[in-house]
Amino acid sequence: MRTKIALAGEGGQGVQSIAKILVEAGYEADKQVLYIPNFGVEQRGGVSIAFCQISDKTIGEPRYSKADIVIMLSDRAIQRCETYVDENTTIVYDSSICTEAPKCKAKKIIAVEANKIANEQLSARVFNIIILGVLLAATNVLELKDIKNAMEMALGKKFDAKPELRELNYKALEMGMNLITEKAGV
Amino acid sequence: MVNKLIKEDTKMFLTGNEVLAYAANAAEAEFMYGYPITPQNEIMHTWCKLLPKTEAGFLQTEDEISAGFSTLGGILAGKRAFTATAGPGNVIMQDAMSMAEMMRIPFVCAVMQRGGPSTATVIYAQQETRLTCYGGNGEGFRIVYSTAGHQDLFDYMIKAFNTAWKYRFPTFVLADGYQGKMREPVTLYDPASRGIKMVPVEASLLAPGKIGTDRPSNHLRNTFNMEEELMEVLDEYAVDFAKLEDEISEYEEYKADDAEILIITHGIVARSARTAIDELREKGVKAGMFRPITLRPLAVKPLRAAVSRAKQILFTESANGQLAQMILEAVYGLTTPYSTLYKMGVGVTGDDIVEKVEAMLKQPVTV
Repeated sequence: MRTKIALAGEGGQGVQSIAKILVEAGYEADKQVLYIPNFGVEQRGGVSIAFCQISDKTIGEPRYSKADIVIMLSDRAIQRCETYVDENTTIVYDSSICTEAPKCKAKKIIAVEANKIANEQLSARVFNIIILGVLLAATNVLELKDIKNAMEMALGKKFDAKPELRELNYKALEMGMNLITEKAGV
Repeated sequence: MVNKLIKEDTKMFLTGNEVLAYAANAAEAEFMYGYPITPQNEIMHTWCKLLPKTEAGFLQTEDEISAGFSTLGGILAGKRAFTATAGPGNVIMQDAMSMAEMMRIPFVCAVMQRGGPSTATVIYAQQETRLTCYGGNGEGFRIVYSTAGHQDLFDYMIKAFNTAWKYRFPTFVLADGYQGKMREPVTLYDPASRGIKMVPVEASLLAPGKIGTDRPSNHLRNTFNMEEELMEVLDEYAVDFAKLEDEISEYEEYKADDAEILIITHGIVARSARTAIDELREKGVKAGMFRPITLRPLAVKPLRAAVSRAKQILFTESANGQLAQMILEAVYGLTTPYSTLYKMGVGVTGDDIVEKVEAMLKQPVTV
């Protein structure tokens, strides 16, 4: 079983940061993982995409044509990533950022309001962690403890300096998970 | 001597650029010269980050011309030195690489291909295949390993140093931006634990001892007065290089024994071919792969055998047939028809290959 995950958003939304946590969690859980950050000449701006794969078996192709789940966090990310969607793909998009819902033919299109929740209830800084929670709940690939472990590896020093940050991030993760009531079947 | 960081088998989750820096250290490389260019920058970043522990050296030069020649200088002084580059950097380093060919200098370079021609993209391609194999004003007396992921990067970077110092032809690890930037698990090891002994290095210039009494002079030539003098030297090189095919050529076959459709590809695209072949085999399609690991020299005999067995060939690359051109020359006289799937500067996915092979089954190629 191989799960192909594409995360796309605007530069600065923290897409690559959560992709790193996601694949690190997969690696620590002893799975096969492969992650390609999208990188270009731009310093900021532009759509940032992370191509992730988590598998029980050795991974072949580094890039895939169609993803099992695509996270779209801006209008431009929707435009850019429709090419990775087919009838087997689940889309999760942020309806509090995107002005329109994705129109492509997908298995399932799920709207979440992570940005709104981050701004109103938590902090804009943990927007991406809410999305990570959404992704965790939408897939059956990793467990909460794997993600928490990877978050400690990535952010542990910051957490130790400011313990309230740990609480904030865990809260964001949990709220993200609660936004998904049904498994996306991937 | 440098301090080797990897003393026992260590599984790590790294980018390919990081793997190459660790591999050079494992191979006891003493010095890196370089000039930054995406997507290979993190090789030198990692190398530099490790310097306090390794006690190796690094020099950032003013451009790739200088990086190439400085590397040659370090090697002539007897250091196990290397460099890395990509894209336009690979183009302007060709003069130094040609000098390494001419003077039989054990130059080692990692090439992380990006889109071309010119600046193009900083991301990924296989468009420096011909350049790396045959660039410069020479005859392609170069050894080129084309890798397909992080374990390859570690294994072949170590091997590149030994091949270069043993045979004294410039040696390249040819990878790409995907391999440089992507993260996947890899097992790092001390080469000695695999029975790999590093070939000792020696100085060509300023070697110890008095010339004439302690040792003969080292006659290093890069300039020839007469045409015939040059040809005499190059004829010898050609003989030496021809012997390499039997000694060092490497290839990988995947389900190629009974393959009716044989996919010929190299580097990271071979990974996509594996994905495609697994899917096609599940559908009952007899597909297989021949992947040359050494692009210079090619493993011609097994290549011809595999091509002869197949009914159809598919060449696929993230370039416009740069590998295919070399393969077609090597399989001259064979008549297996072929088709192509070329995506210039773009990754080839498993789905791309499956779709193409299915089209070839419906409408077999005849040429």
